[in-house]
Amino acid sequence: MTAAGPGRVYDALVVGVGTAGLVTALRLAKQGADVLVTAKGVGATHLTSGTVDVLGYTPERVVNPAAALPDFVRDHPEHPYARAGLQAVGDALDWIKLQLPDGALVGSLEANFLLPTAVGVPKPSALAPETMAPGDLRNGGRFTIVGLAGLKDFYPAYLADNLSRARLGQEDNGRVEARAVTISPPTGGVADVTPMGWARRFEDTEFRKTVIAELEPSLDGGAVGFPAVLGLDSARTVWQELNDALGVPVFEIPTLPPSVPGNRMARALRAALTRAGGRVVMGGRVIGVRGAGERLEEVVVDAAARPKTYRARDYVLATGGFASRGLEMDSYGMVREAAFDLPVTGMPPNAEARWADEYLAAHPAARVGIGVDDELRPLDSGHGVVYENVRVAGAALAGAEPWREKSGEGISLATGLRAAELILERRGG
Amino acid sequence: MVEAEVLVIGGGATGAGVARDAAMRGFSTVLVDRDDLAMGTTGRFHGLLHSGGRYAVKDPPSAAECMEENRALRRIAADAIEDTGGLFVSTPWDDPAYPDLFHSGCIEAGIPVEILSTAEILRREPRLNPRISGGFAVPDGAIDAWKTVWGCALSAKEYGATILNYHRITAVHRSDGVVTGATAVNAISGEEVAISAGFVVNASGVWAGDVANLAGCEGVTVLPGKGIMIAMSHRLVHTVVNRCKKPADGDILVPIRTVSVIGTTDTEADGPDDVAIPQDEIQLLLEEGEKLVPGFRRARALRVWAGSRPLVKDDKADDADTREMSRAFALIDHKERDGVEHFLTITGGKFTTFRKMAEVTVDRMCEHLGTARSCTTAEEALPDSGHHRFYWLGARLARREETLNDDQLICECELISRRRLESAMEQRHTQNLDDIRRTLRLAMGPCQGGFCIYRATGILHSVERLDYSAANSALLRFLQERWKGVRPILYGDQLRQARLDDWIFQGLLDVEHLT
Ligand SMILES: Cc1cc2nc3c(=O)[nH]c(=O)nc-3n(C[C@H](O)[C@H](O)[C@H](O)COP(=O)(O)OP(=O)(O)OC[C@H]3O[C@@H](n4cnc5c(N)ncnc54)[C@H](O)[C@@H]3O)c2cc1C
Ligand SMILES: Cc1cc2nc3c(=O)[nH]c(=O)nc-3n(C[C@H](O)[C@H](O)[C@H](O)COP(=O)(O)OP(=O)(O)OC[C@H]3O[C@@H](n4cnc5c(N)ncnc54)[C@H](O)[C@@H]3O)c2cc1C
Repeated sequence: MTAAGPGRVYDALVVGVGTAGLVTALRLAKQGADVLVTAKGVGATHLTSGTVDVLGYTPERVVNPAAALPDFVRDHPEHPYARAGLQAVGDALDWIKLQLPDGALVGSLEANFLLPTAVGVPKPSALAPETMAPGDLRNGGRFTIVGLAGLKDFYPAYLADNLSRARLGQEDNGRVEARAVTISPPTGGVADVTPMGWARRFEDTEFRKTVIAELEPSLDGGAVGFPAVLGLDSARTVWQELNDALGVPVFEIPTLPPSVPGNRMARALRAALTRAGGRVVMGGRVIGVRGAGERLEEVVVDAAARPKTYRARDYVLATGGFASRGLEMDSYGMVREAAFDLPVTGMPPNAEARWADEYLAAHPAARVGIGVDDELRPLDSGHGVVYENVRVAGAALAGAEPWREKSGEGISLATGLRAAELILERRGG
Repeated sequence: MVEAEVLVIGGGATGAGVARDAAMRGFSTVLVDRDDLAMGTTGRFHGLLHSGGRYAVKDPPSAAECMEENRALRRIAADAIEDTGGLFVSTPWDDPAYPDLFHSGCIEAGIPVEILSTAEILRREPRLNPRISGGFAVPDGAIDAWKTVWGCALSAKEYGATILNYHRITAVHRSDGVVTGATAVNAISGEEVAISAGFVVNASGVWAGDVANLAGCEGVTVLPGKGIMIAMSHRLVHTVVNRCKKPADGDILVPIRTVSVIGTTDTEADGPDDVAIPQDEIQLLLEEGEKLVPGFRRARALRVWAGSRPLVKDDKADDADTREMSRAFALIDHKERDGVEHFLTITGGKFTTFRKMAEVTVDRMCEHLGTARSCTTAEEALPDSGHHRFYWLGARLARREETLNDDQLICECELISRRRLESAMEQRHTQNLDDIRRTLRLAMGPCQGGFCIYRATGILHSVERLDYSAANSALLRFLQERWKGVRPILYGDQLRQARLDDWIFQGLLDVEHLT
């Protein structure tokens, strides 16, 4: 296909291959739309824990997100959940479970799991891979946390120490007892094996046998938590085999990026999109747009050799926040949306007032992003719609502090799916 | 009860230098600091081993003294010094009459100076503004404060001195007009320690007035002249680059290891502990940086900090009898000034001249004690510098390559291996990751600890056998410390990194709910 094509107009052009972009594109492609996805690089999905956090703290720990969300959106009318509507959150969780392989995500909007993080904090997540679910701490229990001598991104003793003291609140019963074991399965003489390197090793049956043999003598009947490196493409098989061989529930604990479970999820979504006929241009950074009045007409992408122009009826901006350079701030404090140059909202004008003194406090500048109407269309400072055929989804949106709320993937899923639904609705079903 | 002949209050460069000098001259010595060593102005300086060029026009005696001490430190502290050399360059904004004055000033002060063409300067430093017009090369260098101060402290220890870091002096004892010791409070345990000492040296920098007050010597006013510095990612230059003009703000860029530091500013601080960073000063440094290196504003700012110069205003005494050697530092003899015996205050000066300041101070002490012992600190090398080889940027990489397959890399940015980290923890025996940061430069590279801090916490937990709450507070304190240094410069790639770190520490690890 040539630049701009001889008049080729896609049904939809999605910018970004993080969770938000992939979900939008997948939903549209499954409905038969002609979708093109263009992205500068991979999204944050490769770095995430692999859980879908919808709402973890308000700031009190959330037990049942479905029950907590109505008050939450009332208190935060600019939040992406308020813009997308609560229906979208539940729909998105139901929908995503069906798109991914069996067991890739389990759980529901009605009850958060409490899953141990790599420092041993019980973190609330609505959905999690089946390989993590047995780590759920809500009912207490006995746990053995397993470290791998050649993995520097996991410290079982520190984790277990915190886990044993985790405050589970009144809604939970049962105490947590946790202890640590470190094993040294063969690494072929390499001191530093990356999480991906471990995942490949765990896919090897012989390697698993050495792990099982080394671990068996130190088990005490409690569930066994591994760092989340139990295989990439065949995680389900690896996990089930370890469960069977060890005779106790086995679970994974996510740790520092790059994330093996995050990669699993990104790969599964990409595969589903390809099956549904969506096309992805990687390395395609959007460097400019041309609009005409209230419509975006075309997008210029800085592809391999020279800029290419693409046209579509609808556009979805899913370029993420500052972490993915969807948003950028220069040394004068000016914030810019990098792809479509949309207006950005939420930046305190006074530099001294942007960030609080305490790192873990709420920061005035944290909710910066693209403001949208309830059809997820970008707004200017006078609350007018900038382009009526552009929707914004995911971490690019204003109004959230997802890393504090524990709502990252929840926002991307809900707004990503909602953006697609809105485009389909407009199109007349 | 601690007993010594000499108590030195303040473990910055000056105090560590005095302690080493006194110990080497055979005095039993104790060195006390309220924090870790080198956490006052010394740990917050610009990192420049002055050739004296900066003072060549304004203050020739200071310039000469810097050059003399530059030579001495190169002899004794090679391991802490990167022999970068220095340039003085004229930009279109600088007074065209200054270079001639500079050149003759250097010659007068005995600073080796070489005239360079614009082409030669740009060949050496291709990122510099092509609109510069000529300049000079002088023997500036980069010097590591922590290595130097710890080197002095360890050397003092080898000569029998005791180091009491994390001990704050809360009282100075006097008996019949003679100082006899002090009370220190352990900053970690709260325990009081009585120190008996026949002689006390107050080397507490910008806090020197407060410490003098403790001994009843009132009216020593030390005005804190605050300056900020910004560390930029990567070596934008490989040589110390100074603007060839009357010293002012933001006119020096110092390459230090993997970063380049621009500085500095000068405003009167709200007291000695004021290290707040004003936004307008950041903008000023970026503006000046842009003049030296076009594109500076788009480079990544890593960390910003402030420190205060001790500027002595002593109304009570006249210059002639209280200020020794050079106007650049102040040795206050409290016998002459206040009639209080066996008590000296040494403050002001520069990092570059700390050894000289120590020598002059211990000379004066010997006079008071009626003993003549000569100073050898300018000749004997510090413990890690006996090889007389300057620090070399590639050293860590070379060491890393030797152990590539049998040791883990914990801090990717600064190339710190697990074994080095563990042995530093064992040596320092600390529950504070910031102590480790300063010892190894852990987490001081581009990712600012995004990855290694979690690892270091896990390792500290096992090496020091910490319980969960001590390990958690080490982690949380470190994050807060780091935040202070990045908060004022959150833009561009640094904001991106900070957001990734928010995701890692809060989104993924949920550290804010550690107990
Ligand atoms: C370390 C880490 C841990 C996390 N942990 C969790 C967790 O435990 N639970 C949870 O729920 N969430 C977590 N998240 C958050 C979650 O992954 C993100 O919020 C979410 O994936 C954001 O998705 P997104 O699709 O909006 O944007 P991103 O995933 O950021 O994707 C943005 C995409 O846009 C592209 N792009 C940007 N600019 C341009 C341009 N100009 N032209 C073309 N393409 C462009 C990028 O290359 C990328 O493909 C974590 C995130 C990180 C970084
Ligand atoms: C912005 C800036 C940049 C600079 N750049 C350079 C440079 O590039 N090159 C150069 O040569 N010089 C430079 N200087 C100057 C140099 O940093 C200082 O002159 C030098 O570090 C002062 O060292 P000090 O030991 O006297 O003071 P400090 O390092 O401040 O030491 C005093 C110590 O006393 C301790 N203390 C205070 N009160 C008590 C108490 N009650 N009990 C126990 N301990 C106490 C403090 O904790 C502190 O550690 C710079 C200065 C500033 C401000």
